[in-house]
Amino acid sequence: MSLARSFAAFLLLLALQGCSGVQSALDPSGTEAERINTLTWLLILFSTTVFFAVCLITAAALRGGGRWRARLADERLVIGGGLVFPIVALTLLLGYGFYLMGPGSPAAARADGQLRIEVVGERWWWRVTYVDETGRRVESANEIRLPVGRPVQVELTSADVIHSFWIPRLAGKLDMIPGRTNRLTLQVAEAGISRGQCAEYCGGPHAFMSFYAIAMPEDQFTAWIDREAGAARNPSGEDQLAGQALFLSSGCVACHRVRGTEARGTIGPDLTHVGSRHSLAAARLENDPDAFVRWIRDGQHVKPENLMPPYEIFTDEELRQLAAYLDQLR
Amino acid sequence: MELKDLPWTTVAKMAGAAAGGLVLAGAVFILSGVYNIAASTGHLQITTWLIEILRDRSIDVRSFGIKVPPLDEEGLIRLGAAHYEGGCAPCHGRPGEGINPIVGGMLPPPPDLLDVGERRPSEEIFWIVKNGLKYTGMPAWPDPRREDEVWAVTAFLARLPSASPTYEDLAGVTRGGRSGDEGLANAGALTRCGRCHESEDTGTNGDRIPRLAGLPEAYLLRSLREYAERTRTSGAMEPVADLLSERERRELAAHFARLRPPAVETSVTRDPEQLGRGQAIATRGIPREQVPACMNCHSGRQSPEFPVLAGQNAAYIVGQLQLWHRGGRRGTAYGRIMAVVASALDQQQIEDVAAYFASLPAGDVPQAPVAESSR
Repeated sequence: MSLARSFAAFLLLLALQGCSGVQSALDPSGTEAERINTLTWLLILFSTTVFFAVCLITAAALRGGGRWRARLADERLVIGGGLVFPIVALTLLLGYGFYLMGPGSPAAARADGQLRIEVVGERWWWRVTYVDETGRRVESANEIRLPVGRPVQVELTSADVIHSFWIPRLAGKLDMIPGRTNRLTLQVAEAGISRGQCAEYCGGPHAFMSFYAIAMPEDQFTAWIDREAGAARNPSGEDQLAGQALFLSSGCVACHRVRGTEARGTIGPDLTHVGSRHSLAAARLENDPDAFVRWIRDGQHVKPENLMPPYEIFTDEELRQLAAYLDQLR
Repeated sequence: MELKDLPWTTVAKMAGAAAGGLVLAGAVFILSGVYNIAASTGHLQITTWLIEILRDRSIDVRSFGIKVPPLDEEGLIRLGAAHYEGGCAPCHGRPGEGINPIVGGMLPPPPDLLDVGERRPSEEIFWIVKNGLKYTGMPAWPDPRREDEVWAVTAFLARLPSASPTYEDLAGVTRGGRSGDEGLANAGALTRCGRCHESEDTGTNGDRIPRLAGLPEAYLLRSLREYAERTRTSGAMEPVADLLSERERRELAAHFARLRPPAVETSVTRDPEQLGRGQAIATRGIPREQVPACMNCHSGRQSPEFPVLAGQNAAYIVGQLQLWHRGGRRGTAYGRIMAVVASALDQQQIEDVAAYFASLPAGDVPQAPVAESSR
């Protein structure tokens, strides 16, 4: 096998990697994504069939005998295959597409005033607020938790530039536009983790503006949101206490909120339960104490141009204490 | 043989020999020590003539197009005069008092600047103070990033000679303050902190100079160290901090932290609407524009590495925020944090918030945490 061919095979393997996993539209886990998946395969099959039919006809025209050529030159084939077939086939496909994806589609179960999730696109992270049946608002960030089997309405808007909300495994993408609220219904079929990504270029760190959507069974979700609604846990260990003192006195509170403490900033993400999240910095880093240290000190390297000022003022010891405090905010 | 019949090879040889002779003569002149480099003997006439033409043409051309900001403000003139006393007077003398015999032996001797404001337009003074002059001993401004300080000195010089009768007042020479000039190894004009800053019985020498009394000791010490390391920029403060030993820096930081702030003479009437706008920025921030509330760091309830801003001179705050805007305070880790905030403020917001802080009584530390900022 030539080098070029083995390279091409390698690339194909790489591309196939994208077909499964936490961020694949071909591995759907939500109602809407499943419908998109159905439509996608239908269109691929249809196009493939038409393509091979055209290839066959072309081959017959080039290599076939006089009888084949005479038949192909017939006006009826031109009218039938060139006009009637495309009009009928495309109309049927369009109609089916409308039926499947449109507002009146059978599967688009409306979330009847139950759980709502407001997601605001920020540069370059996600402000997430859960509004439950009782109207209780629970603010979080950079992660979306969903109950399995229940339709949840997601309200999307932006605080600055246009972003786009896309969880390929759960639904299609929908833009987040300043001054406008777009609505999306998510219904997840099974528990598990999906990855979401901003899908509209929104500035330097756009590629690092991601999040995880975590689907949980109903009972776990209820327990989770009750805990998420509560105030932050009080630190107990020596390091954690020292870390909290640093957090409160070093300006962090100007932008971050930790409910139950003096930290009441609203410019950056709410950190009340940051330690319990699946990732840090909008899915840029794993969530562990080392990641907190990296983010605080080297945030501009981890995610260049992000809007948090570089905090190089802390010693290694202080960084460790801060990380210990943030890590226990679960 | 006629001249025109000479073969060209012969002409080339003669020209080569002449050039070689010249180089040789030049080498003999330079290496023999015939030329007298002594300052006491003066230049050759032709050297003086050449240098003067170069100087005048260079200043003319290079100061062309410099835009002169308003220079009439008293605070600016005081800041300039105070720096003149520390940085310029050692050579140029105080205006009208002539120069001392030591620097008089320089070639050329530094001119008495009494009438410089009449001889030169402001942009030329600015250019010279900023860049210095070759072959004269005139140094460039210690920090090229601080053009605002150069303008202060320019403002003072442009006022000469009419400012000379009040020179001692402007430059802080007569100020009673003895703050910081005791026990110092080098107690020259530069390290007499009280000429510019506060002392037991005077406020700052004009509103461009920061009030230091009662600021956190850790912040004062950090600032002096940053000036000494030249990570914080100031043509005025870098030379001062450089003269101080670490022990002296500690003593001075402790001294100013302990100093009881004298009451501010509130002759300025402030616009209540502006104060309201400034208060909103200081206590609530402008979250939509990524501006956090200043009081989250600068109220006095937080880290002692952060300066308290209540009662600080408005013109100083404005000057520093503008310096951040120009990128002139990115040298330190603390400065880089503030750089993000400062760049989110526009000129009007800077003036509003500075006016608000100046209107607060010094040492005023709010009891409660700052108001909740919300979108």
